[in-house]
Amino acid sequence: MRRSALIALTLLASGCASIQKERGHAEVAALVEERLGRKTRWNQGTPEDAEVQRHLDALLKEDLTSDRAVEVALLNNPALQSTYEDLGVSQADMVQAGLLSNPTLSGSVGFPISGVGVSEHEFSLVQEFVDLFTLPLRKRVAQEQFIADTLRVAHEALSTAAEVRKTYSEVQARQQLVELRRAVLQAAEATADLATRQREAGNITELDLATEQASAEEARLVLAQEELALVEDREHLNRLLGLWGPRTEWKVSEALPPPPVQEAPLERLESLAVRQRLDIDAARKQVSLLWNALELARSTRYFGRVEVGVHTHQDADGPRLFGPTLSLELPIFDQRQALIARLEAQHRQGERRLVELSVNARSEVRAARARLLSLRMVAERYRQVVLPLREKVVEQAQLQYNGMQIGLYQLLTAKREQVEAYRSYLEAVRDYWMAHAELERLVGGRLPGDTSSQPTAPVSTEQTSSEQAAHPSPPQHAPQRDGAQPTHEHGQAPGASSPNGQERTNSPGTRPATENPHEHGQH
Amino acid sequence: MLARTGATLAGGALLLRGSSAQAQSNVPGAPTPSADTGRRNVKQDWQRPGMPGRDYQPVVVPNGSKLPWKVVDGVKVFHLVAEEVEHEFAPGLTAHCWGYNGQVHGPTIEVVEGDRVRFYVTNRLPAGTTVHWHGLLLPSGMDGVGGLNQKAIAPGETFRYEFTVRQSGTGMYHSHHDEMTQMALGMVGLFIMHPRQPVGPRVDRDFAIMLHEWRIDAGTRRPDPNEMTDFNVLTMNAKVFPATEPLVVRKGERVRMRFGNLSAMDHHPIHLHGYHFRITETDAGRIPESAQWPETTVLVPVGSTRTVEFVANVPGDWAMHCHMTHHVMNQMGHGFPNMVGVKPDGLDAKVRTLMPGYMTMGQTGMGDMGDMGMAVPENSIPMVGGQGPHDYITMGGMFTLLKVRENLTSYADPGWYENPPGTQSVAATLDELRRDGIDVKAPSTADPGDPTGSRRG
Ligand SMILES: [Cu+2]
Repeated sequence: MRRSALIALTLLASGCASIQKERGHAEVAALVEERLGRKTRWNQGTPEDAEVQRHLDALLKEDLTSDRAVEVALLNNPALQSTYEDLGVSQADMVQAGLLSNPTLSGSVGFPISGVGVSEHEFSLVQEFVDLFTLPLRKRVAQEQFIADTLRVAHEALSTAAEVRKTYSEVQARQQLVELRRAVLQAAEATADLATRQREAGNITELDLATEQASAEEARLVLAQEELALVEDREHLNRLLGLWGPRTEWKVSEALPPPPVQEAPLERLESLAVRQRLDIDAARKQVSLLWNALELARSTRYFGRVEVGVHTHQDADGPRLFGPTLSLELPIFDQRQALIARLEAQHRQGERRLVELSVNARSEVRAARARLLSLRMVAERYRQVVLPLREKVVEQAQLQYNGMQIGLYQLLTAKREQVEAYRSYLEAVRDYWMAHAELERLVGGRLPGDTSSQPTAPVSTEQTSSEQAAHPSPPQHAPQRDGAQPTHEHGQAPGASSPNGQERTNSPGTRPATENPHEHGQH
Repeated sequence: MLARTGATLAGGALLLRGSSAQAQSNVPGAPTPSADTGRRNVKQDWQRPGMPGRDYQPVVVPNGSKLPWKVVDGVKVFHLVAEEVEHEFAPGLTAHCWGYNGQVHGPTIEVVEGDRVRFYVTNRLPAGTTVHWHGLLLPSGMDGVGGLNQKAIAPGETFRYEFTVRQSGTGMYHSHHDEMTQMALGMVGLFIMHPRQPVGPRVDRDFAIMLHEWRIDAGTRRPDPNEMTDFNVLTMNAKVFPATEPLVVRKGERVRMRFGNLSAMDHHPIHLHGYHFRITETDAGRIPESAQWPETTVLVPVGSTRTVEFVANVPGDWAMHCHMTHHVMNQMGHGFPNMVGVKPDGLDAKVRTLMPGYMTMGQTGMGDMGDMGMAVPENSIPMVGGQGPHDYITMGGMFTLLKVRENLTSYADPGWYENPPGTQSVAATLDELRRDGIDVKAPSTADPGDPTGSRRG
């Protein structure tokens, strides 16, 4: 956190030079930081960029955590950087909208062809007049467009962050899965080794030996597949972080943390999503700007072109004349009915899209929440019931082996099944965290009650024994590190209160049917 | 054991003072002599009750017990209670069995030829049961085959069996209702019938031993009656070595051993070390002396009894056991892979990375299994044996010891036999080897089976 504060200061200082250019991005940064606690940065080829690059190197030198990965992506994801440029385009449009149209200077000179008479010339300076009245409204429309664009860009940043979190969890889990596959291979090799020795002693058939050897080879190939999957997952993360060259050598040594002991309260996620999601906000702004554009069109409906100007004219041998000019377009045929109809349709379309987006957002949140809870249940069931049972199976198998009731083959089978159960557990935990990131994305920020989106790495990576939230000991050779117990405060999360909305506590079941699905839809 | 023998010697009168004996006389619905007992047709064909010490020398039941009785109107009255019994096969292995009167196997019944006997059988099991008097001559309606000779005794009911003992020898009794379950759970016992007049030479020690087999998976607490072939607890009087009581005999005594076999599936060739014996009785009675063969092993088939006799004239600790090698093992895992001759170097280390407690076993056989001291499943006993005077005895199951000693003052376990100097096998000395021209490093030799072969000399 202290490091990011440092970089924030750096960015702020460097921002002064092009304050106008930074304006849109500063808002994006504020929106993102409010929701993620991480800054974004628009690299514009300035000397300050070097500072960012040094910061990136520093971030990548240390163990990559989920939060650090998000920070790297916000600073360095190429697609995101290209999206940031949209702000420049949008801002240019806004500046354009604030400018009066240029006056027209026209002139003509006439020369007598027959050589009789003198030349004649005429000049005029004409200014489009309606601009003066429509400029404020035009400016407002353009500003709203700019805000909508800003929201969209910030939404992109949040989506990227969610994607990074998911991929990070995948990498984290995959590393552990590779370790587990190694353990399975080890068991299979020991079995094949025993079979070889038994065959040498004349105690088993060639068939039995070949069967055991084939199993070991299969375990080896499965490990190879898992190792490839790890490479692919890492590369996916590299793409999201925009990394190449030596920067791709980052390490993740923190093990996948277990799901938090308690789930954050999930009741008001739907309304939170509708209130907080930036893409919905952008759609809302879009509706509003279409309304303003419509107003603009309507208010200028009976204005044709009004041009006011001065002109000077000198006839041959005549006096020089100077006076005002007025040119009026008569809105007899075109009263902008087509434009107005189009804008009206577009406005209605925008409203419907907003409804669609809101309804879908609610539904997606419900589905993602159900998935999160279900995965959490699976993970907990594994942790509290299945894994202890598997451990007991191995323990009892060892006793049965000691009593010569079963042989090494059965003993190692028990071990392998324990490892497989641990693998299923890890996959459930990984899926839990991916669902967690997805739900964050759908809610448009952190979940209420989460103090951080993922538990942070413990200072010491050593396992803290008998910690309730810690993973059960993984089977032999699996990484022993565990995430610290996450803390849970059920207070308001930083991103939960939006500036224009009060807290709504309707739960989905009690929501009146008449409630507007997008809540803050407005004209 | 001696105490129990003494009690028996004191006779039924002593045992009659027990509360169960008191209760028996008050059994509701107890028949009067005129009730339908079949005796109307036989008309007082029994003799006065035979008494221990006077009419017979009571048997000794190592590890076992006897069924008490009392005399009512000249009839020996017994009360058998079929019930669940917590039985210890050896320290470390206890199971929920079914037996009689708190015992597994049921207490040995001891009567005299010509006795009138009346058995009240109370069923405290959760299932119906009957008692079949195995090998006994009696009226068909007393034979105890459920459904055939009688209705099964329902839980809570008490049935009466009554008949006159018309023979001498070794019989048995067991459930004959759902036998596969009830016998597999232990509902068997011995039924000793002494002759009214002495037959053959008088014996000093008369041992009664019931052979049986069970399936009790290591770590479980109930015999598995569904097992058909793969038995892993082989018992003498429901105990496995080293929990079997030794058979203690004073040197020079004449010894009788009665074996009954109610195993589910296996015959048992019981082999006695140190002696020749003669098989004097089968379950149908005495074998004429002219037909008795000298033997060292007596095959006791399933459902049969065999009696052997010999004079114990050589002191020592002598093994007696079933000669089927799997029958002198305890709870062996029959699916354990064959590890004999496997070289484990390096394998242990490899497996230990996965299973820290692992150690390769069985590569030189199973002899070390008993005393390795590794943790085993709860309620299970080592595959083999117990500690002997010289080393670990690598046998278990159907194995016991005949201990013959001079000048015994009691039949309590006299401890290990000390071999007189020069009468025990020890490591050969170099001097001896040199003296007898034995080169331990030379290739081993063997003569051809055909005595005309050329390699002799
Ligand atoms: Cu046997």
